[in-house]
Amino acid sequence: MSHPCLIDRILEPAALSVRFQPVYEIGGNAVRWHYVECLIRGPEGTSVEQPEILFEYARKKNREAEVDRACVSTILGAAQCLPGSTRLGINVHASTLAMDPEFLTFLGDAARQTGIAVDRLVIEIVEHAPPWDVAAFRNALDGLRSIGAKVALDDVGLGQSNFMMILECRPSYFKIDRYFVHGARSDFYRRAVLASVAQLALPFAARVVAEGVETEADLEAVRAVGIDLVQGYLFGEPRTGADLKKSTLLGAA
Amino acid sequence: MADPGGPKRQILLLDDEAAISAPVARYFRNLGCSVDVAAEPEEAEALIVHRRYGLAILDVRLTRFGNAEGLEVLRQLRKRDHWTNVIILSAYISPEVEEEAISLGADAVLRKPQPLADLAQLALALMGDAQ
Repeated sequence: MSHPCLIDRILEPAALSVRFQPVYEIGGNAVRWHYVECLIRGPEGTSVEQPEILFEYARKKNREAEVDRACVSTILGAAQCLPGSTRLGINVHASTLAMDPEFLTFLGDAARQTGIAVDRLVIEIVEHAPPWDVAAFRNALDGLRSIGAKVALDDVGLGQSNFMMILECRPSYFKIDRYFVHGARSDFYRRAVLASVAQLALPFAARVVAEGVETEADLEAVRAVGIDLVQGYLFGEPRTGADLKKSTLLGAA
Repeated sequence: MADPGGPKRQILLLDDEAAISAPVARYFRNLGCSVDVAAEPEEAEALIVHRRYGLAILDVRLTRFGNAEGLEVLRQLRKRDHWTNVIILSAYISPEVEEEAISLGADAVLRKPQPLADLAQLALALMGDAQ
């Protein structure tokens, strides 16, 4: 007996699921949600449960935009359980924005159907493959901003999230990858990179999010260079909506 | 057979016939190996981008696709690394396929059906070499 085609299974209703991981704002001794990143999971028990493998597979099948749409629909549906004031971080591939001219309309419709205001959305741009239409990408970003969504650039410092991408995106958030964050307190050069990204964000009027904050030492290192938005296992692993609602920090959202 | 020694033994198995992949995966898992089963070449290629394997067992011709997909996966794998051991396991082994598989860097070429114990003995020997 042959397996059913995996891409069809991925696109079945309810095949994908969501975990939530807040980005926290640290102010003095207070910690509160700044926004909540919504992380997709592939069908349980398959080889594509992890999102990076899910999207690698979708890319190789040339179905990335379709899978991106399925992820957005799933996330917006799942996010209905969160308080109405919570901003939501949603990962979208730059190539989808550049190559799917109807994506913006789709996003607006999906948000309306789930009762989520578009100005609550932080679109986190991720990319793994460089060739796409830069003009169309810029238009899509302008469209996102025009409907009130914020733009974040994910994985700053790695792969395609380079200086060129920063210029194209003009993001409101620079999400600096965990590679530069974890272990920074005892690593002069990592601290130098963190400080330079914090400086780089200033003329863009952008804020920096330090990903992969796993220890108090990591937190100390990022705060020392003025980064006050943090995300990572120090504050908990990605959780289901039900588990997140139970979290003690919910009242501070 | 001796326990091969824990989760460091990561195996990628490419085969679209569940009747074959399921018992092979189960056999290796019972030996303490971790096994990812891919039924499509794109699935296998996505896995090798993000995971490291001690061994890949690749069918050559997948029923639904009908070309030499296993060899293409091997080609992609060898672009990334030269240390993953590879066994080509297929019912379609011609001298040309065997020659191409070896030239692409396969460590062994076996014809289906293959007794599981024999396959496991070879697999464990190769992974032992990889330690």
